[in-house]
Amino acid sequence: MEKNQYDLCLEILKRLDQSGILNKIILIGSWCLPFYEQYFRGIKYQPAIKTRDLDFLFTKPLTNNIKADIPALLKDLGFIVVFKGSKGYIVLQHPDLIVEFLVVEKGKGTDNPIPLPGLGINATALRYLSFLTMNTIKVEVDNFTVTLPHPANFALHKIIVAQRRRNSEKKEKDRDAAMNVINALIAKGEKATLQRSFNSIPDKWQATILKGLKTENENDIIELLRQNAKTR
Amino acid sequence: MGVIKGVLKEELANSLSMKKGYEKELADLPRGSLVKKKRKGHDYYYLLLREKGKVKSIYKGKVSAEEINKYKKIKEYRAKYRKLLSKVKKQIRFLRGTLRGKESV
Repeated sequence: MEKNQYDLCLEILKRLDQSGILNKIILIGSWCLPFYEQYFRGIKYQPAIKTRDLDFLFTKPLTNNIKADIPALLKDLGFIVVFKGSKGYIVLQHPDLIVEFLVVEKGKGTDNPIPLPGLGINATALRYLSFLTMNTIKVEVDNFTVTLPHPANFALHKIIVAQRRRNSEKKEKDRDAAMNVINALIAKGEKATLQRSFNSIPDKWQATILKGLKTENENDIIELLRQNAKTR
Repeated sequence: MGVIKGVLKEELANSLSMKKGYEKELADLPRGSLVKKKRKGHDYYYLLLREKGKVKSIYKGKVSAEEINKYKKIKEYRAKYRKLLSKVKKQIRFLRGTLRGKESV
């Protein structure tokens, strides 16, 4: 991992922690992969490729007493606010990292960004993100704690998302990341956790995961997940 | 190989958007630098800026500490953004060079 990039990531996490935001968000996306190294200590685990996108998912409702201007918080690090797409999704860009905030999509969903006025940003609402919040782990970094989706949820979520991708390269990247984490979980002896995560989601989502695994001929994983589904 | 190429393409698109972003930030910063001059024991300030290739000096007189600080911050941000813009341009050159192969981006 490039040192400057990792140090910048830590500095962002530190500032979010100091402003009382870090305990309301979880780190999602490809930046979870290097942090999973701590979870998979002692296991052969090589984090898959990651991009500059540092994505945070709000898991708790924001109370009025939390007021932190996130763009101002990161301005002196050189982050600039960029409005993405015609809807104006806010991303904070820096040559080493691109910070984006997300929320769980509710109801029928919306294409519009969700305003977070107390924080000076807006967030993108996406489907299936609730799966990442169902089971989380905590990782100690420097003097603070970062919450991540449990690797089992992360991997199964990636399999769902991969199938919704139009871009074949992104699809392959998601699939690689998912299989990398699933294999590490199996090596760690966490087949049961994987099965529990699979069983915690609606049947329709389960079917999507099985379909995705079938396309990739991951029959052993399908068998592992199905075995447990039968014994539920 | 497809995954790496996909990531590089995505990073190139991000860097191109970032280049525009930093150029806009730089263009939006108030122009000029505040310069102090001492005359007969008093401090007076001038705003120095370049116009049509020539350095122009605008008399500002005595300015508040707040304004001095404002221009100091602007100077810092201008230097920071220029440095980051240069980094982004290097990234773009690198990514274009790496992707320049059988297929055009």
